[in-house]
Amino acid sequence: MEDWQRAHGALTRKAILKGTIMAKISIHNLTKRYGNMTALKNVSLEIDNGEFLVLLGPSGCGKTTLLRCLAGLETPDEGEIIIGNEVIFSSEQKIMQPPGKRNLGMVFQSYALWPHMTVRENVKFGLDVLKTPKETSDRQLDEVLKKLSMDSLSERYPSELSGGQQQRVALARLLATKPPVFLMDEPLSNLDARLRMDMRVELKRFQSDAGATTVYVTHDQTEAMTMSTRVVVMKNGEIQQVSPPSELYKKPNNTFVADFIGMPRINLVELHGSGQIFSNGDITVDFGWEPGVKSVVLGARPEDLTISPNLKSIGETYTVTAVLPNGPEIIVQLQKGKTVIIGRVGHDSIFENNQEVKVTYAQASLNVYDASTRELISPIKNN
Amino acid sequence: MIFTFMNSRKFNTKLGNVTRDPVSVAMLILLVVLAYLVIWPFFQLVINTLTWSEGSRRISREAVPGEFTWFYWLQVTAGPISGKMLYGPLMNTLITGIISTVLALIAGGTLAWCVVRSNMPGKRWLQPILTLPYILPSFAIALAWETVFRSPKVGGQPGLYEAILGIAPPEWLSYGVIPISITLAIHYFPFAYLLVAGALATIDSQMEESALISGAGKLTILRRITFPVVAPAFVAALILTFGKTIGQFALPFLLGAPTQFHTVATMIYANLALGLDSMAYVLAVILIAMSLLSIWLSNRFIKKKSARFETISGKGFRSREIDLGDWRWFVFGVVSLFGFTVGILPLILLGIQSVMLIDGFYGFENLTSHFWIGKSNLDIAGGEPGVIHNKIILGATWNTLKLAFLSAVIAAVIGIVIAYIAVRRSNNPLAILLDQIAFVPFLFPTIAFGAMYLTLFAVPVGPIPALYGTFTLLVLISVVSRLPYSVKTGITAVTQIGQELEEAAEVAGASWWQRFRRIIMPLASSGIMSGMMVSFVGVMRELSLIILLITPATRVLMTAGFGYAEEGFTQLTNALVLIVALLTIIGELILWKIGKGRMARLREKQS
Repeated sequence: MEDWQRAHGALTRKAILKGTIMAKISIHNLTKRYGNMTALKNVSLEIDNGEFLVLLGPSGCGKTTLLRCLAGLETPDEGEIIIGNEVIFSSEQKIMQPPGKRNLGMVFQSYALWPHMTVRENVKFGLDVLKTPKETSDRQLDEVLKKLSMDSLSERYPSELSGGQQQRVALARLLATKPPVFLMDEPLSNLDARLRMDMRVELKRFQSDAGATTVYVTHDQTEAMTMSTRVVVMKNGEIQQVSPPSELYKKPNNTFVADFIGMPRINLVELHGSGQIFSNGDITVDFGWEPGVKSVVLGARPEDLTISPNLKSIGETYTVTAVLPNGPEIIVQLQKGKTVIIGRVGHDSIFENNQEVKVTYAQASLNVYDASTRELISPIKNN
Repeated sequence: MIFTFMNSRKFNTKLGNVTRDPVSVAMLILLVVLAYLVIWPFFQLVINTLTWSEGSRRISREAVPGEFTWFYWLQVTAGPISGKMLYGPLMNTLITGIISTVLALIAGGTLAWCVVRSNMPGKRWLQPILTLPYILPSFAIALAWETVFRSPKVGGQPGLYEAILGIAPPEWLSYGVIPISITLAIHYFPFAYLLVAGALATIDSQMEESALISGAGKLTILRRITFPVVAPAFVAALILTFGKTIGQFALPFLLGAPTQFHTVATMIYANLALGLDSMAYVLAVILIAMSLLSIWLSNRFIKKKSARFETISGKGFRSREIDLGDWRWFVFGVVSLFGFTVGILPLILLGIQSVMLIDGFYGFENLTSHFWIGKSNLDIAGGEPGVIHNKIILGATWNTLKLAFLSAVIAAVIGIVIAYIAVRRSNNPLAILLDQIAFVPFLFPTIAFGAMYLTLFAVPVGPIPALYGTFTLLVLISVVSRLPYSVKTGITAVTQIGQELEEAAEVAGASWWQRFRRIIMPLASSGIMSGMMVSFVGVMRELSLIILLITPATRVLMTAGFGYAEEGFTQLTNALVLIVALLTIIGELILWKIGKGRMARLREKQS
C-alpha cells in the first residue's frame, strides 16, 4: 500500500515536471483554533501554478500557521486544501495527508539543518526517503550542490558554515527533490542586511528556474514587495487584501493595510463633512466626488505631498516641525493646528525647523476610507 | 476515492485513531505500566498497613487476616511500644537530620563561594575531590568512621583512635547522634555545594559592582547583595538535603544499631528483620510523608521566592572573581585539607583496614593480603576466602555489573522515550501526566520504595508473577528509581533538538521511526550516554533501595558488604566497599570525559 502511494507520488511529481499537472493550490474556508484563540478565520485563497505568493503581516497574524497547515505540520479544524488535483486536507471528507505525501519542500526560519549530517548528507536525506536509486540520487546531488556553489563544502558540517552558506544548504535541500511546491518561512530573517539583498535575487532566480508554486512567509514588507507576484496581507487570522505589490501600495483595501505597508507610514487624517467637501478644522479637502458618509479617513503617502518653500504658491500653509535626512530622501514633519503629517522630499531639498511652507497633493493618489468601517471607498465620478 | 479512504486514518491524530500513531501507543502503554509500578505500590503499602496480615494471630486474638484494621497504626502511634517504635526513632531522625543538614549547608555553602566566586587557586583539582564523598557509597564513610572511632565497649577490636591515644573513645563519639550527623554531613555536603554553586554562578557580578560603586565594602556586599540573592536556593538546598538525610539507611544503621540507636529508616529494616512487616510498613508510610512534606516545602519556597528574585541574565552577564589577596593560599590550604580528610582519607583508611590480619592492631607484622587473595582459612573470618577466591563476592560483582548495566540501559531508553513524549506532546495532558508519574520515585525514600515493592511482588497478582527473590525485581526497582533522573537528562537532550529539525524530515517524507532513528537518536546520543553512565554508577552504589529485596542468589557487592559488616568481618566489607568506590570513581571519570567531549562539541557548534 505504501509502495503504491509512493509510486503514485512519484508519478504525480513526474507529471508536474513535464508540465502536465499544475501545482495550483486552492484553500477553502480554512479555520484553525488553539484553545480559545482562533489563529485562522475562514481563510480562502487561490494560488496559481508558478506563482510567488507572499504572506505578509505582523507577528501573530496567522501567516506562519497558514503555511504550516499547507505543509501538514498543523491540522486545521475546518476547511479544505487542494494541491494540483489532489485533496490533501478536508475536514468534511476526513482527509489529512501527512507532510511527506504532499509533494512539497520547505525552508525553515532556522534552516533546520541536521547538525550531525554533512552538507551532502543533509541534502541527500530527502532523496533517501523517496528511495531514489543511487545513480539518480548522486547525479541530482552533484547538480544541486554545484548550482548553489556548495560543491566544495559538501563534506562540511552545518556548524562549520556561515549563515549565508547554511541558508544555501537549506535551499539545496529544498531543490534536490524537485518538489512542485516551495514553502518558505522567513528564510532570510537570520541573515544580515547586505546578504539578505543578495539572497533575495538568488532565491527568486531559483524559484523561477524551477517553476515551482511558492508560498513565502515574511514580516518584512520590502521582501514582500520585491519578490512576490502577489502579496497576501493578514491580520488576526484573516486575509485583509490579496494584490500584486504595486496595487497593494497604491490602493490599500483598508486603513490597516494602508498603515502597515510603506515606510515612512502613510498619513491618515480623519475628516468630517458632507457632499464633496470634508474638513477637520485645520485642513479642508474637496474630493470632487461624494463619499456618501459623514466621516472619512484620508490616506496620503508622504511622497504624494508636494512641499514648496515659496509661500506665494498655491496650497495650505504648514509649519515644519522636524527634518530627518535619510540618504536619498528627506522626511519632513509638518504641522497645521493640531494636524501632523509626514512628507517625503528629495535629498537636495532644504528645509528648516519652524519654516512655513505650502503643501499640495496629487488628488488622484489620495485614498478615502469610511471612518467607521475603515474600508476603502471607491471614487465615483459624478458627471 | 481509494486514496481518500486510505488516508482517513491519519486524520486528527489528537482525538481519534491513536492506534496507528506510535507515539500515542507508547504513551498509553507507559502510562499504564508506570501507574502500576509507581503509583499503585504506594496504595498497596497503605492498604497493607490497614489490613490484618497472615501471621497476625500471634500479635492479637482479634485478628482476622485480610480484614480492615487500625491496629498497626494504633500500635505504632499510641501503643505501649510507640516510644521505642516511632517517637524515639522519629526524634533521632529529626535531630540527626537537622544537625547534618546545617553542617552540610555551612560546609557546602562556604566551599561553593570559595570555588565559584573567589580567586582561590587550584579550583580545577579541588572540585572533583570535593564531590567525592557524595559519589562514594554513604556506607563507605560510615565504615571509615568506625575504623577510627570503634569502641571495644560494644565488642570487637579497638579502632585507630584507641590504637594511637591508648584510651577508648567516648561512646558518644563512636555511636549515635554525633557520628551519624557528622558522617551524614560529610556525605551530603557536596549535594548542598552543587546546589549553592549553581545559584552563585547565576549572580551577575554587575549587581555587586554597582554596590561597590555605591561605596559598599566587601562584607556589606556579601551580606546585603550576595546572600539575599542566593537565599532561596540556599533554603531549598536546606530542605532538600534534609529530605535526603532522613531516608538514609545504611549509614545510621552501621553507626547506630550497635547501641540500639534507631532512626525511622533503620527501624523499618529492624522491624522487617523481626517479622513485624506491617509495623515496618506503617513506618515506611510515615517516612514517605516526611519526605513529601520536605519536598513540597522546598518547592513552595522556590516558587515563591525565585519569581521575586529572578535575575535577568543574558546580555552583559559576567561573573567576576573576588580577590582574596594574600589569604588565597591560606584558603586553598584549608579547603584542600578538608577535601583530603573527607574525600580521600576514608578511602585510605578502608584500604589499610582491608590488609590488616587482626582488626585494630596496627603494625607491619599484622599486614596481610589474605582478604584480597587468600584462600579459605577457618581461623580467619569464619573461613571466608579472600576477594578473588570468594564465590559470594565474585557472584556479587557479576550481579552488580549486570544489574547496573541492565538498569542503566533500560532506564536510559525509557527515559528518552518519556522525555520525547513530554517535550513534543506538551499540549497533551496525558503526556504531562506521564512526565509527572516518572518523577514520583524521587519523592520516596529508597528504603520505603523497597518496602513497597516487597508488598507488591510478594505474591502473584493476575498475570504478574511473584517476583520476590528474582533478579528481575532488582532490575525493575532500579530502573524505576532511576527514571526521575533519566527522564530529566532525556528532556534536556530532546529540548536541545529543535522541533524544526524533525519537521524538516517530516516534510521530506520520513516516517516517525525514520525520524527517531536518523534525527533524534544521533542528536540525543551523547546526552543519553552520559545519563546511562550516571545511572550505572548510581545503581552500583545503591544499598537501601534493594536491601529488603535481596536474597542470597541475587546478592550484589553493596549488600554482600553490608552482610559481612553485620557479621563483623570488617576487612571483607572494607574490601568490597573499596571495590564499589573504585568502580564508581572510574565510572565518574568516564562520565567526565564524555561530558568534556560534549562541551567541546557544543562550543564548536556555537562558534
